Amino acid sequence: MPVTESTLLPPELMAQLQRLELVTRKVFRGRMKGERRSKRKGESVEFADFRNYVPGDDLRRLDWNLYARLDRLILKLFLEEQDLHFYTLIDTSMSMDFGEPTKLQYAKQLAAALGFIGLTRSDRVCIETIGQPAGQLGPVLRGRKSVWRMLEYLDAIEPGQNSSLAEGVRRFCLRRRGKGVLVLIGDLLDKNGYEEALRYLVAQQMDVYVIQVLSQEELHPDVKGDLRLVDCEDDDVAEITVSAPLLKRYQQTLAAFTGGVQEFCSRRGMNYILAHNGLPVQQLIATYLRGRGLVR
Amino acid sequence: MNDLFRNTLSPAQWALLAAVPVAILALYFLKLKRQPVEVPSTYLWRKAIEDLHVNSFWQRLRKSLLLFLQLLAVALAVLALLRPGWEGTKLEGQRFLFLIDNSASMSARDVNGVTRLDAAKEQVAALIEQMDSGMTAMIVSFADDPRVVQEFTDDTRLLRERLATIGPTFRGTNLREALKLAAGMSSLGAVLAADDESESPEKLPADETATAYIYSDGRFPEVKNFRLGRLNPIYVPLGTKEARNVALTAFSTRRSEIRPEERQAFVQVTNFTDEPATVIAEIRLSGEFLDAKEIEVPAGDSAGATFPLADAPAGALEVRLSGAGLERDVLVSDNRGYAALNDAPPGRVLVVTPGNVALETSLATERAKRLATIEFAKPELLTQKEHQQLADSGAYSLIIYDQCAPEKMPRANTLFVGTAPPIDSWKATASSPSEAPPAEAAAAGTVSLPQIIDWNRAHPLLANVEFGNIGILTSNILPIPQGGASLIDSTGGTLFAIAPRDSFEDAVLGFPIVSVGEGGQAINTNWPRRHSFPTFWLNVLEYFVGQADDLASPNSTPGQPVELRTTASASTLTVVAPNGERVELQRQSLEPFQFHQTEQPGVYEVVEQGQVTSRFAVNLFDRQESDVGLRPSGDSDIEGGTKELRIGETAVPAEGLTPARRELWRPLLLAALLVLMVEWYIYNRRVYV
Repeated sequence: MPVTESTLLPPELMAQLQRLELVTRKVFRGRMKGERRSKRKGESVEFADFRNYVPGDDLRRLDWNLYARLDRLILKLFLEEQDLHFYTLIDTSMSMDFGEPTKLQYAKQLAAALGFIGLTRSDRVCIETIGQPAGQLGPVLRGRKSVWRMLEYLDAIEPGQNSSLAEGVRRFCLRRRGKGVLVLIGDLLDKNGYEEALRYLVAQQMDVYVIQVLSQEELHPDVKGDLRLVDCEDDDVAEITVSAPLLKRYQQTLAAFTGGVQEFCSRRGMNYILAHNGLPVQQLIATYLRGRGLVR
Repeated sequence: MNDLFRNTLSPAQWALLAAVPVAILALYFLKLKRQPVEVPSTYLWRKAIEDLHVNSFWQRLRKSLLLFLQLLAVALAVLALLRPGWEGTKLEGQRFLFLIDNSASMSARDVNGVTRLDAAKEQVAALIEQMDSGMTAMIVSFADDPRVVQEFTDDTRLLRERLATIGPTFRGTNLREALKLAAGMSSLGAVLAADDESESPEKLPADETATAYIYSDGRFPEVKNFRLGRLNPIYVPLGTKEARNVALTAFSTRRSEIRPEERQAFVQVTNFTDEPATVIAEIRLSGEFLDAKEIEVPAGDSAGATFPLADAPAGALEVRLSGAGLERDVLVSDNRGYAALNDAPPGRVLVVTPGNVALETSLATERAKRLATIEFAKPELLTQKEHQQLADSGAYSLIIYDQCAPEKMPRANTLFVGTAPPIDSWKATASSPSEAPPAEAAAAGTVSLPQIIDWNRAHPLLANVEFGNIGILTSNILPIPQGGASLIDSTGGTLFAIAPRDSFEDAVLGFPIVSVGEGGQAINTNWPRRHSFPTFWLNVLEYFVGQADDLASPNSTPGQPVELRTTASASTLTVVAPNGERVELQRQSLEPFQFHQTEQPGVYEVVEQGQVTSRFAVNLFDRQESDVGLRPSGDSDIEGGTKELRIGETAVPAEGLTPARRELWRPLLLAALLVLMVEWYIYNRRVYV
């Protein structure tokens, strides 16, 4: 059990997370032997099937008892347990640097928690950011001992890598061709839309979880008067006079937006979870993600 | 300004007001400076704004809701200042006189459940409300005499305040006096106005009339021989013709015909409705029930009832009407009557005669003695100072001057025999035959051997007196003073007349019984030999003295001064009013006390040295006032009222009940205030609708 000073993963949270494991609805082929069932038959204790011996098969897996009874060479097949590829993609745009705690901090915490679960269960955990340059790859971690590395890496993530969501996701898809579970954490507030980015993920045939993190201020804006709103990413200016209908309209727009993302995701077999920075990570994991079947 | 709006501000004030919305607009545009705020993304906001911008005109309006509300509040205030309203009378002219009748009949409660006076005040208040700036008005209330409630002023608040002070009275009505006062005041106003306008003399004339609104129920005698001059009258009748009233029209005490030592109370009830009415008259003496009788009064007629009082002690006698006949009775104040019962001392009668056996004999009867103490004196007494003082203090009930006359009329009833009172009204043609009249005066003022044609048998003085076969040698022919009545008419003219003087009555017998000629006394008439002669003198005593003890508690009407004669020559006197109020009176000279505060009907007590010595009653027994139905005149009616009122030669059209102008400024101002409050609320809550 590594001891870390990081605020991302307090010991109590860790203790809670230890009991959990990442789940995927799809059974993927991993690269290494892990703790996960795979389609591949291999060496494990879990019986899968019998089949006739064909020359070249490993003699160690012949069922000698059957041979004795039937005088035929029958091969006993076992399900091979493999590891899971768990990717976390964090949006690090400037807009994530808002809220208390900031949305990015929240995203990092969430990533750390999920990564910890994966690492404790010997899954392959890979954390990357949207704005990551094309050539640079995030570390691929495996095993409990890598927790500190993961936390270190997460701590080093700074906001300000402004790149469009679609571009970032596209680059990720190009980098990581393998199958597995992908958790996209971000606010999805991209003026070019989130649809293109998510479409790339569909093509990736991954088990995709989209966790949209919004700040309390975005969900329930507490503004008054005649204001000039300045976008922190592109300095776009919107002049508003706060009024009840405007606030109502904003809520409607927000609801339409999140509803749109949810529908988009569910139509494409992705899971969508709306989180906000006021919701404790452990609660999010214990109730929402568990409910959606990401962890067990 | 037209009918809908009325101006209330001067142009300068309007200009100031017009600057307010301009200032609001200016402030609004100056204020619009947006505060920059950094947000994670304008993505959602943009979408929200875009949606709202679809309805951009309304959006703009919404944006400036506060501005809109402020302007609305100002607009409402301006509208309120324009005083929009409808109906009501538009006041024409610059000067107004409001003559408000507050006589007893105006207390009738037949105008929508309120008294006529209240209705009148309400209407006057409504008219005062409508006065534009520059208009002046004056309020006069009138009953039997007018009272200036408020002189000409343009201060509507003062007018309203003063208007509220007008209260009902228990008096009769005299429009003539009120009109006189009004005409006087208005012409005075006109003169003053003319003085003011010395710079523009061409602007003087006819438009400087005053409009007089007369609020009355028309319960007053016709006003004749009156010129309204610059008054432009408008008559507003109040009340309904159908108003029902049953009233007490008389209540008095008198001695019983059969047993003079016993007193009786007499009640007369008059029914001013179209249906017979039954009322119960209840008599109370000093608050204690004495007797009650049911009186049936035919429609439009009077009925009386007599209550024996036996030897009731002195006190305040009150009669109350009640019963079924008083249902829908609109005037309550005339359902009560008061009378005073006094322990009157026997009257004191002085007979001043040079010697008259027939007269002395006639007054020497037992019955005469019972009625009065009779003193005889020679004419020389009249010049004595003590006698003059005594006569002036009202000590005598009656003084009979036989062939003589005092220098100054005494404060007593008088009967002159063969002479005339020394006052102008009697002097027109009369002169004393004993004083060797001049030839022309004799030709005009005396007559020989007059034949009596007729005499007033109904008058109590001549009750049971027969003049059929009486011869008279010479007699004065009497003029009949104002208010007087001729009692004996002869071929030569009036031989016996009676006339009131202040609170007394003077009777004058034109012919002496005996004339004093050169050869001593000579018979002038054979009347003393007739039965009617002693009867006449008994009548005289009964009329002047017997009545006097009732007259000692005279039935005054409210507002009339009462003369209080005292037995002792006390210097102060206290009068206790029915409501318990005490009034101290100081003797001014030798004249009797005058008591003026008789507004309240009821029994007043006169307290002398701590003791109630006498009482007098104040009543409104006025048929004019009690007949509360709206005065019927003219041939066509409007709204059950009368068409016109005649004042002198002028027919004053009746205006009918003018509906009060309905004004909107109060709700408008309220709405402005409400809008301002909403604006404030929105400003504080930042909730723009």
